[in-house]
Amino acid sequence: MAAIDHYLNSVIQQARLEAFDDGSATLEACHLLLGIAVVGENTELIAAGLGYDQIRAALREEFEHSLQTVGVSAAVYHLPKPTRVGDPPTTLGASAKLAFDRGFARARTKKDLRPVHLLLGILQAEIGTVPRALALAGFDRPALIARLAGDAA
Amino acid sequence: MPPELTDPADALAAVAALRRLADQLEEAAVEQAMRDGWSWPEVAEALGITRQAVHKKHAKRLIEAGVSLRRR
Repeated sequence: MAAIDHYLNSVIQQARLEAFDDGSATLEACHLLLGIAVVGENTELIAAGLGYDQIRAALREEFEHSLQTVGVSAAVYHLPKPTRVGDPPTTLGASAKLAFDRGFARARTKKDLRPVHLLLGILQAEIGTVPRALALAGFDRPALIARLAGDAA
Repeated sequence: MPPELTDPADALAAVAALRRLADQLEEAAVEQAMRDGWSWPEVAEALGITRQAVHKKHAKRLIEAGVSLRRR
């Protein structure tokens, strides 16, 4: 197995745990981003102020903000957190599939594929939870993409 | 009062967040109801879905979580 396969596998395994913790039935782009922040090549993310805790906080803020736009507060529910048992999800959600497609499209061949391509694939989305979360938290996603694109070239 | 929704991006994001919140709330509420001794038909009726649907969605998780479930 090539190094990139090991890398992608470890990011996906961590992303599965993040999805499980969220109670999500599918693994989404936001979970891949969290996976990279924990076990992936995260130097550029950290340099941009996007450590695991910052990403989690940004995603939470996006969730609460989106609910507030229709007058709903997530904080009003005080039911105990449901028990999480069983296996973490293995199914890729639509946003994760798009992230892989976009990231892989940046590599000429599979041999050229590197960790930065997956990160770019996630960050390139203009619509969805990740770009909204990063924008709301004040992160300069285009600048990060530009820096990473230089690394990926 | 929340501001008027004019941007479709905000409206679509709200739909995604509401679905997620509804799923989270359903998981928590069904678990609490079953721990409190509710039956599958009662939970199903409260949710407005069939007993089979609620059982299929939640039984495995609750059994693995050690919740004692009423048969009826």
